[in-house]
This record gives sequence, C-alpha cells and structure tokens, in this order.
Amino acid sequence: MSAVAQAFETREIVVDEVFPHAPELLWRALTDGALIERWLRMKPTGFAAKVGTEFTFQTTPAGPWDGRIRCEILESVPNRRLVYSWKSGDECNVGYGSALSTIVTFTLTPATGGTRLMMVHSGFELPRNETAYTSMSGGWKTVLGRMAELAGE
Amino acid sequence: MIETAPIDAIMRALADPTRRAVFERIVGSEEITVAELTKGSGVTQGAVSQHLKSLRLAGLVTERPEGRNVYYRVQPQGLAPLVDWMSHYGVFWRERFADLRTLLKEIDR
Repeated sequence: MSAVAQAFETREIVVDEVFPHAPELLWRALTDGALIERWLRMKPTGFAAKVGTEFTFQTTPAGPWDGRIRCEILESVPNRRLVYSWKSGDECNVGYGSALSTIVTFTLTPATGGTRLMMVHSGFELPRNETAYTSMSGGWKTVLGRMAELAGE
Repeated sequence: MIETAPIDAIMRALADPTRRAVFERIVGSEEITVAELTKGSGVTQGAVSQHLKSLRLAGLVTERPEGRNVYYRVQPQGLAPLVDWMSHYGVFWRERFADLRTLLKEIDR
C-alpha cells in the first residue's frame, strides 16, 4: 500500500522519531515562539502553551485563502503533550488551499537515549462523513492504491 | 487543466456504500457501460445511472458516449484535492522534523 493510501485509510499523518535530547528541551522547541519559527519555518502570532489560546501561522496564500492557519491550544501538559487545532484554506479552493479543519497532536515520551516525539496530524475529513469513513472496507485500500498508481504517484 | 471538485463533494460521493461499489468497479475496469455495471450490483439500472451522475459531478469518473452505449472510466485526478493536502502535509512534517533535529542539536548545550 502506498503512503498516500495509508494516510487516507487512517485519515492522519504520523511522524514518530526519537531525539537524543531531554523532554524539557523538546518541549521548549514546541512552545517557544522564536524556536517554533526556526523549525516549523512559520512564525506563530499570539502563541502561548495555554489551553484556549488562539494563534496563527502565516503561509502561502491560495485563491481566496489568505494563507493564514488558525490554531487554538486544546491540551497542554508540559513536557508530555501539546494539542492544537489547525484550520486553513477556503471552501472556494480545491487541492492545496481548500478548506481544512484538522488537529495536530505532539506526544513526548521518554525513550532509550532521549525522547520520542510523535506528531499526529489528524482529521483529514469532514465530520459528517465520519460514519461513511468508518464503514469503508478493505476494498477502499485497493481503490486508493490503484488511484495513486493512475495518478502516477 | 481538468477542474477538480471540492473535497466535501468527493467525500459525499464516496460516502454511499453502493455508489462506492460502483466506483470501485469502474476503477477495476478500463471502461464499462451502465448495463455491465448493473449486472450483479443488486440495484436497478436507473439507480446505477444516478450513482454515475453523482460520481461524474464529483469529478471521479468521465463518460464517453458511443452509439447506443455510454462508457464510463475513472478520472484519476478526481481525488486530487485530498491527495494534495495530505501529500503537502506529509512532506511538510517530515521536513520540519528534520529541521527540528538540527535546531535541537544547536540549542542543547
């Protein structure tokens, strides 16, 4: 199964790596505005690792979308877990820049020789289609695999 | 350039199990007619036609009339909107993790 088909199946993107550093340092990189900008390559405006805080990232605009990613801190447990919503795009757009309402979750756990950081970007779907997605069978995988082939992935 | 439908239209089109089955059969064949699709589908030809219309409007299939028949085939670009976002963020996060690794190395003194 291709990576695209895998991502579709789970409706999320997962990056999971171990870093040879203490959780406290990773937490700093995830929650300090200046540091966020250095690795995420986007400057956060209004960021604070406090539940309920709303902040934005500015990226490349597309069509009627101003390129602003609107976020809100949903969970914040120092050195362990950071969750924020990630809303971007515009309903008039298709592909990159189309309306998207997703969630980004960072989980830190101690690992041999450092800290394991798992990032899950989830919710690539529309809420009203949840049931439809849940009912999707294995045939779906085949279809997506074939679609990816046809699309020349 | 072929116009693609918004993600929600695509998702709606594929949300119905019967319609998804129809779509999967089109995916599995080079070209297929309504009559062929109706065979063994357990629904009427009229129902299949309706599903085909939805799939066509969602940009997932195209039709080609020839004589008395209409042939349907998959339009691979149909899923492009969702593929675009997911590939975009797939690449985005992997690259950002690489940048994070570099940054952490710098600041861990």
